[in-house]
This record gives sequence, C-alpha cells and structure tokens, in this order.
Amino acid sequence: MKITVDFDHCEVHGDCVVAAPEVFDIGDDDDVVQVLDDNPGEELRTKVETAAKMCPVAAIKLGA
Amino acid sequence: MTLTASELGVLSTDTYAQGDPTTFGLPLDHFDYIRDNEPCFMQEFNDPMLIEKAWVVSRNEDIWEVDRNQQRYAADRGYVNMWKVTPIDPTMGGQPAMLTSDGERHRAQRQVMSKGFTPKVVAKLEEKFREYAVTIIDEALDKREFNFVQDIGHAMPMEALGDVLGVPPGDRAKFFSWVDTFAAPFDTRITPSFDYVMEAIGNLMVYSTELAEAKRQNPGDDVMSRIVAAGADAMSEDEIMGNVALLASGAAESTRTAMSHGMHEMMRNPTQMKWLRERQSDIPSSAIQEIVRIASPFTHLVRTATEDHVLQGQEISEGDIVLMLFVAGNFDPRAFDNPREFDLSREKNPHVSFGRGPHQCLGKHVASLEMKVLFEELLQRTKDIQPNGDIEYVRDAYSRGVYNLPVTLTPA
Repeated sequence: MKITVDFDHCEVHGDCVVAAPEVFDIGDDDDVVQVLDDNPGEELRTKVETAAKMCPVAAIKLGA
Repeated sequence: MTLTASELGVLSTDTYAQGDPTTFGLPLDHFDYIRDNEPCFMQEFNDPMLIEKAWVVSRNEDIWEVDRNQQRYAADRGYVNMWKVTPIDPTMGGQPAMLTSDGERHRAQRQVMSKGFTPKVVAKLEEKFREYAVTIIDEALDKREFNFVQDIGHAMPMEALGDVLGVPPGDRAKFFSWVDTFAAPFDTRITPSFDYVMEAIGNLMVYSTELAEAKRQNPGDDVMSRIVAAGADAMSEDEIMGNVALLASGAAESTRTAMSHGMHEMMRNPTQMKWLRERQSDIPSSAIQEIVRIASPFTHLVRTATEDHVLQGQEISEGDIVLMLFVAGNFDPRAFDNPREFDLSREKNPHVSFGRGPHQCLGKHVASLEMKVLFEELLQRTKDIQPNGDIEYVRDAYSRGVYNLPVTLTPA
C-alpha cells in the first residue's frame, strides 16, 4: 500500500508514531514526521489505517 | 421526558457538583436523550459570567467532525469554553495561544510546542516520573488514610509540568499555587472569588516572560528553551504568555481529575481492579484510555462557525458558537459497545476527551505516561485500596474535578 503525507499540514502530533511505529517516526529535531517506509506490506495495513484516521490534521493518505 | 434538551441542565454547575457517583457523576440518561432527540440544540446560559448561547453537539461522530474541520469551525474567533472570559482569548483581553489560533499561526506555535511532547521525548521522562511516583506512594503509605485527589493526584502532574516546561525547582511552589487557583475558578471552596483567578493568571504571565528570558541566557532541555530558540516568528511574546497559561491550565487539573475518577471506578468495580492488578508491572494503554474516557476531564470546548450551514437539521449561521459536549460523546452507544461499562480492556475507544483535531491535547502522551507510572507504583505497593467516605465533586460545569476522594490503603 502506498502512503503519502501532506507535510505542509503535519504538526508533529505523534499519533501516527503511536499507531504505526514501523512506518512513522519523529526524531528530536524533526519539524515534520518521517516516513520510514512509504510502501509497507499488507500486514501493516490495519496499523497504517489507524494512523491515517487518528492524524488530527488528516495529513496521511493511503493508496492501493 | 417532558423537558426539552435546553432545560435538562447538561451544562449546569449543579448537575456536575451533585452528580450520581454510580453513573460516573454524570447525567447519562440526559445525554442519551439529547443525542437521540436533539443532537444539535441551542443552549442559552443567562449568566453574566458565561457566553450568551451555543449550539450543543453531543454525538461522538459529530464532535469528531466539528473538532477536525477547522475551516468551518474556527478557534480564533473568540471564546474557548462556556466562560465569557479566559486568559487565552485575545478577543476578550487575553493573550493568544494555540487553542485560540488557526491556520498558519496555529501551525507555527504547535510545531515548536509539539517537539517537546513527541512520544520519543516523553518516553525519556519515565525514569524521572517513576522517582516522583515512588516518593508520592511512600508518603501515602505512611498516611494510610487520605484524600486521593490531594495526596496522590496533585503532585505528579505539577512536577511533570515543571519538568517539561523547564520551571526551576525553586520556583515551583509559587508556580503551582497560581496554577491551582485557576483550576476551579467558580468553586469558592478552592477559589474565593474570580479576582484571585485573574491575579494568578497575571502572575503566571509575568513569570512566563521572566522564564523565557532566563532560558535565552541559559537554555536547557525543555519546552521553554525550544520556544525561545525558535524565535519570534514561531512564537511572539504574547503567544508565549498565552501558551504557558494554556499549558498550566491543561496539565495540572485534568490529569488529577482523570486519575481520581479512574481510582473511584476501580474501587466500585473489584473485577476491573483485579484485572489491572494482574497487569500492574506494565499497565496497558487500553486501561489509561478508558480512564480518560469515563473521566472526560473537560466537559466541552467551543468553536465559532465560519459559514452558514446545516448540522443535524439545525441551521447554523456564521458567527454562531458551536459547543462540543465531549462528555456526552464519550458515552455514545453509536461509537462504543456498552458505553456505561467501565472496561479497562476496551479495544474500540474513539473517546474525545483529548479532542481529535488540530487542537488535540498537546500533553496527551505525557498525561498517559504519568497515569501509567503512578498506577503501577500504587498497585504494586498496595494489597488493597478501599473507599473511606463518599466522593465529592468540584462545583464546575467545565472542568470535572474531584474535590474529595477519601481512601484507605493496605500495604502489600
């Protein structure tokens, strides 16, 4: 599944890191979230969907 | 039911002050009624200290929508909650803060602040929080009988706020006394009059500019140092004052409120207490989130409609105030299985206690860690915890504080 993040909206709330730490990370000096894997396997779909749903600014989008 | 929604008093002080302890202190039947019959109704307040009127939104899904749609529901057009005056409302003489900003101004402030509250940064606080917890439980075990709110709920959130913000230990006593004053501005047992609240807020704002200057000279690893390092484009002097007031009012009262309601429910539900004791070495996130749900430490927040539109059949006009009744949304059977059940293993838990949009609680990861660590220490070092009198609630319809929760501990 393909992940895109609208970095212009990211405010580093961190909900995606809690939901899917395999895919998202925020380092100490990061201004926006880091996508560790923008094409993760299907086994992570539930976690990534949760991350997208939880994102308070709806910056995470999922493709096929 | 013969009363209409606006006559039920779901935003009246008496409703919460005299809440039924067997229903979380909440008018759950009334919440069911408004969600089912008038999911968006006009509440008039008729009190000089309060806003004139607001559309009250009570279904979980609608609260998510209002909170997340900042184009339609603005935070920067005045008012924060049902109170007419709040220290962070620039339209009423206060200083701007994240919760009263939108768009680029919001993002500039939030990005600086958020960096001090990310899951990774918060994880580093655990060791220090555990030291606080050990001291708090040591003292509690010496006393055996006490008010849980004061003796267990109070210290941890205050010290945590001090650590995160970077308040030097020598300043903490006065800093905390100001914060305490505006935790419950309308309960005369806590705050004799609103003048004390304004004075405490004034002192806190002056102090925050002094603290900012001190951190410019001697930066540390804390949020105030990050703020001043980011410069005036990220946060102006006025915004620094506003955001310190916001942090202080968000951090202290709400966390002890959540812990106190959670403790009360565990004492009422021995099966749940037992379940948690079996997991006391590493309390799962589901337990913390369930405590936060049933506590609903802030009953609501408000936004202003930016355009005419229809919501649940009601015609909302631009400029109208829309009130998200979080506490009703947290018991909505459309969103939760058995919402009246206190279930620490609850998996599907879309509670709105922290909010769900851009203004979501900044300290949610910190507060969750504080609660986890404190309950772990408490459960590990006690054999039994029993009520030692009735729970009493703070007189307030915004903050769901607990005034007294008498408990007796039996050491492990």
